[in-house]
Parts: sequence; C-alpha cells; structure tokens
Amino acid sequence: MAKKRQMYFRMITASLLRRRSRMVIALLAISIGAMILSGLVTIYIDVPRQMGAQFRSYGANMILTAAGDSISQEDVDAAADLIGPSDLVGLAPYRYETVRVNDRPVMAAATDMEGARKTSPFWRVDGDWPAASGEIMIGKNVARTYNLKVGKRMTCTFAPETEEAAAGGTGEEEVVMDNYKDFTVTGILDTGGNEEDYVYMLLPDMEELTGEPTLYDICELSVSAASGNLSAYADRITESVPAIHARLVKRVTESETTVLTKLQALVLLVTVVVLALTMICVATTMTAVVAERRREIGLRKALGASNASIVAEFMGEGLVLGAAGGLLGALLGFMFAQAVSMNVFNSSITLMPWLLPVTMAASVLVTGLACLIPIRSATDVDPALVLKGE
Amino acid sequence: MMMIAFTIALGASLATAMLSVMMDVGDKINQELKAYGANITVVPKDTSVVSELYDIGDENITDSYLKEDELGKIKTIFWTFNIVDYAPFLRTRAALESGDEVTVCGTWFNHHMDLPTGEELDAGVMSLRSWWDITEGDWPDEQAADSLEIALVGSQVAEKEGISAGDTLHVTGPAGEASLTVAGVFDAGGDEDDQIYVPLDTAQALGDLEGKVDSIEVSALTTPDNELAEKAARDPGSLSVSQYETWYCTAYASSICYQIEEVITDSVASPVRQVADSEGQILEKTQLLMILITFLSMIGAALGICNLVTASVMERSQEIGLMKAIGAHNGAITGLVLSEILCTAVIGGIGGFFAGIGFAQIIGRTVFGSAVALRPMVIPLVAVLVVIVTLIGCVPAIRMLLNLRPTEVLHGR
Repeated sequence: MAKKRQMYFRMITASLLRRRSRMVIALLAISIGAMILSGLVTIYIDVPRQMGAQFRSYGANMILTAAGDSISQEDVDAAADLIGPSDLVGLAPYRYETVRVNDRPVMAAATDMEGARKTSPFWRVDGDWPAASGEIMIGKNVARTYNLKVGKRMTCTFAPETEEAAAGGTGEEEVVMDNYKDFTVTGILDTGGNEEDYVYMLLPDMEELTGEPTLYDICELSVSAASGNLSAYADRITESVPAIHARLVKRVTESETTVLTKLQALVLLVTVVVLALTMICVATTMTAVVAERRREIGLRKALGASNASIVAEFMGEGLVLGAAGGLLGALLGFMFAQAVSMNVFNSSITLMPWLLPVTMAASVLVTGLACLIPIRSATDVDPALVLKGE
Repeated sequence: MMMIAFTIALGASLATAMLSVMMDVGDKINQELKAYGANITVVPKDTSVVSELYDIGDENITDSYLKEDELGKIKTIFWTFNIVDYAPFLRTRAALESGDEVTVCGTWFNHHMDLPTGEELDAGVMSLRSWWDITEGDWPDEQAADSLEIALVGSQVAEKEGISAGDTLHVTGPAGEASLTVAGVFDAGGDEDDQIYVPLDTAQALGDLEGKVDSIEVSALTTPDNELAEKAARDPGSLSVSQYETWYCTAYASSICYQIEEVITDSVASPVRQVADSEGQILEKTQLLMILITFLSMIGAALGICNLVTASVMERSQEIGLMKAIGAHNGAITGLVLSEILCTAVIGGIGGFFAGIGFAQIIGRTVFGSAVALRPMVIPLVAVLVVIVTLIGCVPAIRMLLNLRPTEVLHGR
C-alpha cells in the first residue's frame, strides 16, 4: 500500500516536471486567476474604508453644540475620548465673537488651526494659516471690504458686552475702554461659503482680546465611521457628556452613505463579472492542457488501468497545480492590491490572512472541476481508437 | 478551435465591459455626488459682501437682488447640459401668530420649466436637498392647484411652535400676510431647521419683492480643477486666447461660474469649495481605481488567451510535422496557423464584444439604475487588443513549430 502511494506521488511529480512547458502554462493560468481573485476581493473589502477616508474631504460630519451656555475644553476632551483616536480624523473647537474692524462688526472665530485644517480640508488659503500669536486669517469677502492683503496689519476691537451693559447710564467715569489687538494678515480664506465673511485667529489671541477664558460655542468633528456607528457615537456623547449636544451634519452623512453604497456595489459587481470570466478562462486552459493527453490516457487504459486510478492521478496533478498556482496568485494579488491602494489612496492596504486559504481553495476547486470534464470524456473513449490516433 | 473562440470571446467581453464601465464611471459617480447639493452659489454683486456681514444683527438688510425672470437663462449657457439642477432663494423675516419671528425662505420645490430649447426640466430643493428627512407629511407639490399656500417647516420651528403637518399657519411679513397649509416637516440637521420654506411667489408677496431673488444655488457636473482652472479663477483676463478657449470650453466649476455671471445681470457666482473640491477628489480616485481594476482584468484576459492559443497550437505538432515532411515552407506553415487563429479570434471577438456590452449594461442598471453609454472608442480598442493578444499568444507556439523535426514528431515522441 505504501509503495503504491509512493508510486502515485512519483507519477504526479514526474508528470509535472517532465512536461515543464505545458505545466508552466497551466500554472500561469491558475495563478493569474488566483491573483485576480485575491486582488479584487482585497480591494472590494478595503474600498469602503479607503473611500470613507476620502469622503472626509467633505469636512466635518458631526457637530457638538452646547446643551447649556458653552462647552469647556474638558467636555471636548471627554467627547473625543468617546470616539477614540483611530476613528477621529479631526476636531476643531470654535469660539465666535463679534469684533469691530474700522468700527464695522465682523464675526471673529477662534480655533485650533491644526484641527480646522483637518475638519475643513476644502478651505483654500491664499498665504499661510496663522501659526503664531498676532497672526490672523481673513475671509475673502472681509479682505475685499477692507482692501486687505497678505502681510498687511489690521486692528480688531472688542467691546466687552457685560461691562458695557452694566455701565449703561451710570455716568461718564464708568465707561470701559474697548479692548483692542493688532494682527498681521497671514492668509486669505476662499471657501465659497459663509466662512469668507469671518476672520480666524488663534485661541490665545481671542482670550487676550476678550479678556475672558476660553469657552467654545461649537465644535466640529470629522469622524471616519459608517453612518450607523456615527449616530451611535453621537447618541453616546449626548448621553455621557451633559454639557454637549452632538448632532450629525445630515448633508454630509446621508450623501456619503448614498455614494459609498453605490461605489461598493460597483466594485462588487465588477469583481463578480471579472472573477466569473477569469475562472472560465482558467478552466478552458486546464481543459486544453488535459485534453491533449488523451493518447496517454488511452495507453494507460490499454495497459489495464482502471478509470478510477486515471481520474485519481489527473486530479492529483490538478490539485497540486491548483494549490501552487493559488499560493502564487494570492501573493501576486496582494501585491497588486497594495499597488492599487498606494497609487489611488496613498495608503497601505489591510492584510487579510484568511484570503490566502480561500484563494487556494478556490483555485484547487476550479482546477479540479476543469480537469474533471476532459478526463471523463477521455476515460469513456475506447483505448484502441485513441491509440490509433482518431 | 471552438475552445479558442470561446476563450477569446470571454476575454473580449471582459475587455468591452470593463472599458465601457471605466469610461462611463466618471459621469455616473458625478451624478451620484449631486446628492451633496449645489456646488455653485450665485449672489448679487454689491451685496455679496454686505448682506451676510450684517446678518449678524437681527435685521436682514439686503438692498440688491437678482431678477427672477433671468433664472431660465442659466439653462442657456455653453455648458447647459452640465447644469443638473438649480433653485432660487429669497429670505425674508416674518412673524408667526405666537409673535415669534422666523426666517421664511421662498424657493422652488419641484418647479417645472419648459425651456426655449424645447427641453423640460424639473428643478428645485426637492432634488437639491436630497438629504432632508421629511419627518411628517410630504414634500409640497408645486404643480398642484393651491400651490401658493403651502409651506415646509423646519423641525426646530415645528417643535418650538407645536406645528404639525396639515396645520394652517398665519405669517405676517414686512409687506403682507399669508395663511399657509403645512405640507410637511423636515429635519435637515443644520441651520435650515429654524426656517420655513414656501413657494417663491409667496415669499415675494410677504416681503414686497416681486420678481426678486436673493441667491441661486446651482448643481452642475464639473471637471476637477487643474492649474489652468485655478489661474482662470483668479483672473480670466490673464489667459492667452487659446488658454481662454480651452478653459471656457471645459466644464470647470470656474468656467461655469463665469458663464452664469455672463447671463445673470450683476451677479457673482462662486464655487462652493466644500462640494466642488471634494467632488473632484472623489471622482479622480474612483476613476483611477476603475482604471487599475480594468488594467488587471485585461492582463488576466490577455494571459488567458495567450495561454490557450499556445496550448492548442502545440497540440497540433503532429499535423505540422506531417506538413513539413511533405515539404511545406516555414513561412507557409506560419501563415496557415496565424490566419486560422486570427479568423477564430475575429469570430470570438465579435461575439465577446456584444456579450461585453450586455455585461456593462447589467452593471450600469444594477448599480446606477441607468444604462452605461457605449463609447465608439471601445470598438477599435477591443479589436486591436484582441488581435495583438492573439498574435502574441501565437509567438511561442510558432517558434516551437518552426524548430520541429518532422521525423521525431511523426515517430511519436
């Protein structure tokens, strides 16, 4: 029995090695099929994640508003902790105050510029973002109204409201001087939206200008998560941080879901069509490779081999080829997916180890099925006819 | 030979389907991205600065407007087919019965237009604000008979004032009053929740602003910006004549804005960066992704065909050996094999091409609900591809055949 098995393996390996050119063709066909399988499946699974990251260029998809008067830094930190650093793409807290420039009111926003860059990647800044104290970024419309350019200086004045109200009507000596601060314009903001009417400064500058500690009015968050998870996050934040009411920016979240679903469906369908066609291609190649060995099959039958043993031998060959091609193809496919991901999204693909056995199993299956048909027809033939060359 | 024809047909159908989908995916995704709403806003020239700056106070001072009767002209610009949707807006403050002031915004819900070109277009916020969630009632139907007395109420207003669908609402504007039937309540997840939307004519009557509009939002299919577009956006005057022509005749957001400014008197049209830029980015990525997938499947199909052609030619070594033995030239044999294979390739290719169109339509219908446009470019591409791939597939086989020694082959080795 052991000898028989030994002989079986020897037959398979010998047939694979001696008929090198044909086997290379078959192996190539199988590994191409496997490569397309593993490559496309990897892309299909990874596309929503990668595309989701792209969709963050639409900016903030969650807004934290104050449930009470305002939001403190602790509240913002607590909310950020609930989401976790892996899903949180960007966070920008905003504080809005009305300041006067040349005695005309302008809305001034103070924020963390690094965060704003991430939550509003579509902002186009002519010049630089403010980095140091005393630097300010102004909206395009503000720049036009005051005829300001990058590098010019401007003065913002702030009238402390509460003190003014308290001072109302109590005599001249009570009049409070307005706070003022000089700024250098570092950038002009172009967004096509309301932001063009605002000026943007750093948080410490706003604190200095108003003389009040920093409390935020609103906080913009850009979160990379599916819409279901996103509303779960929003609910959790609203529940566990009492000072904050979290809302989703419907315009961004709803539209993202629509477009992402379509995209994924597209990739899925393309994957299925391509896979089906490639698998048929692999099958036809295998069929051709096996079919040309009809003479060999005939000879074996003439020498007294049973149909079962012939099928077993050819299937054994097919399976070895399928496994080898599957392994090779899975590796190539991963490399392909990685290349696509680097080219399209500039980020690495997530490695899915389970795809390796799946690819190998699929290619073994396809190869086995493809061999079966020609072997069956060959074994049905009368050896005498085959050997005679008909 | 049947097998070769079949494989070539598969390869050709794969190539046709992938190429068609790849070439059309940009347009399709662009359509889908319209869900993000308008990418161009049009406001009057003088007030584009002042009105929103003074909006900080509670008084809404706006002293210049766009003309309502010019709205149709937007569909007459050079890139008219790229204008998918647009809607005018007119905001005015009005008091409710409870005494609270709200912003009443006049607009089109589903405005029907018969254009001078003979086309018809249904435009309005119903499609421009596809993310609005109608929590109660339904979208107002502008085509209905009592179309002027309807309103769509923002969820925050509805909650505060206790309004629900079907109620009658009395509003008093600066110059008139109206009683409106509430058709529905919407949740927009933004500032709009504090507003009431009414048909444009109603808002005009409330504010005594007949024939006036204070902004227009336009949703247009655009090409992602490049250097030329950025240069032009800063100052179209800085372009040379040929650059200007290229820019004007390309659907950049900036050139469409420019063309809108040409037809609407005293207007400033500007791209909404949030939508316009992101759209460009996502479009590029999707297209690149599809190109790479197409590339992979083409390589797969090509190698599959090559393989099979090689295998099947090698199979005929005996026949070729015999030919050689009775004195056939190498050239004659090569010609014979090549022409046989090419005939098969042509038959398979034609069959595959039509199957491929079918596949592309299946993909288009299931994913986007619309047919994938067939580009004539695909036909020569697929034809050239099939011929080249088949010829390359023959090369190793023919080299082997030429080195064949008739005696050995005929002897059965």
